[in-house]
Amino acid sequence: MNKKIVIIVLMVYLILAGEKYSWADNITLQNWQWHGFAAQGLIAVDGSDFVRDDKGVSTQLTELGLNASTQITSNLRFAAQVVYLDGGNRYFKGGRVDYLLLDWNFLNTQQWKGNLYLGRFKNIHWLYSSTRDVPFARPSIILPQSVYFDGFRDIAVGGDGGALKLTYSDDKLGDFDVNFSYGTSPLSKEQSQLILSDFAQGRIKQDLDAQASLYWSPALSQWRFGLSLLNSDFSYKGAQQDLFTSGKFSFQFYTLNALYEGEQWEFSSEIYQERFVTTGFYHPAFLKESIGQGMYVQTRYQLNKDLTFLVRYERFYSNKEDKKGEKLQQSSDGLIPSYFAFQNDLVIGASYDFDNTLKLRLEQHWMEGGARLTPIVLPNPQVNDQRYWQITALQLMYWF
Amino acid sequence: MCKQLLFIVALSGCFSAHSINIITNPSVKLYSLTTAQLRRIYSMRQTQWPDHQAIVVFVLPSKHPFHRDFSKKVLHMFPYQLDRIWNKLTYSGVGSAPIVVNSPEELIKAVSHTVGAIGYAENDIKNSQVHIVSIKG
Repeated sequence: MNKKIVIIVLMVYLILAGEKYSWADNITLQNWQWHGFAAQGLIAVDGSDFVRDDKGVSTQLTELGLNASTQITSNLRFAAQVVYLDGGNRYFKGGRVDYLLLDWNFLNTQQWKGNLYLGRFKNIHWLYSSTRDVPFARPSIILPQSVYFDGFRDIAVGGDGGALKLTYSDDKLGDFDVNFSYGTSPLSKEQSQLILSDFAQGRIKQDLDAQASLYWSPALSQWRFGLSLLNSDFSYKGAQQDLFTSGKFSFQFYTLNALYEGEQWEFSSEIYQERFVTTGFYHPAFLKESIGQGMYVQTRYQLNKDLTFLVRYERFYSNKEDKKGEKLQQSSDGLIPSYFAFQNDLVIGASYDFDNTLKLRLEQHWMEGGARLTPIVLPNPQVNDQRYWQITALQLMYWF
Repeated sequence: MCKQLLFIVALSGCFSAHSINIITNPSVKLYSLTTAQLRRIYSMRQTQWPDHQAIVVFVLPSKHPFHRDFSKKVLHMFPYQLDRIWNKLTYSGVGSAPIVVNSPEELIKAVSHTVGAIGYAENDIKNSQVHIVSIKG
């Protein structure tokens, strides 16, 4: 994380909290709220290096989180969460500051609410983005990879900067949420290699990340509709001894989503389009633009208050002009197989709640293609040599 | 046989039919709330009373039968929908969720002792330290 932002947020918090404490109001430092979660699972992948380079059952399905928040004044709040993740090859293993922010509630009426978040904030724009690391709060152990790609997790999960949330509730028109965010995510060398290639010796840096989203739920309706827009720029600075040259990547991502929450049935879907422009990197004059598209539809059926079933189907291709990957294979002289141009996933799953804070989840994925296998920019067909592959996962999760 | 069945149905109906009261701390100077207002309060979209006093929301655990009744009959929402809203707030840092207490008795006690608090109780409540708020519309 950007150390300056951490220090600034903490200093502002300590000054304000200290002031508030000295005022001896009924809100004091005692008003901390603590929450957390712990989840451990078993995961077996047959046919890809999604979790590990070899076959077999892995315990690399660990997610731990602890958060704290306190109300400093009537309209100022401090909140922070740390997480530890181990997902094998899915993302960088280790601890992270998930969010650390000051929340200024600048508008609060019966119908309007406005909050400004400064510091490290979570991505609140997509259907499941804000709780993608919270095992019991997401619909499945592995989320749809075309939107919630684990290789991009550390870039997409949030940012260091500011976010704005405005909500409006109308008895006739329904509930509206408008969100904006502007901030970048720091990336380590390991994360750079996860995204680009194991051979990349330089570092990738996020220069810009601007996002906006709008959600609408009609009055007393079970439906919710949303759209989101993302614009992000990255630059790669090649090392002295490097296969790659310096370059730039530009990424735009647009989504439309719908959610229906009935008593027993739930439906959700996100459709999206992405534009990815590469300038340089492979050689100084290189320029490539591709437009990817995808969608998933998901349903959940709650058999009773404890047992829920899930079915989801997802399709994604990284270039709409090359849905079957023939051009990709040709342009790489056959080095990159055609199935790296797309990724489809059929999932069935079930979850059982033992009580209010303990859940067991089980799911089976049938995958086709490798467009969402790391590294993304220069794929590894030696390891990922199967067009069809499967994931079986089981996870026990506890939260408080 | 038919009479026995009717008796069982009638009896189960009696047990499941809770009469639900909305209760507030006496510091809250409101005597009626609409269903839409209650939905805003319980989904944490409205976090201050009209006099700018902070709203403190108390609830029972999400699988508690009385909470399930309250959620469906008063808010016209399913308990899992409330859980999702609250989990999103709690674990993404963008807000605070209601405070969960373990029993209806604890809930009444918590509301009576907390300035700006709101909760729910069954109809035979005998506690002069909380106000009963009527639901309109």
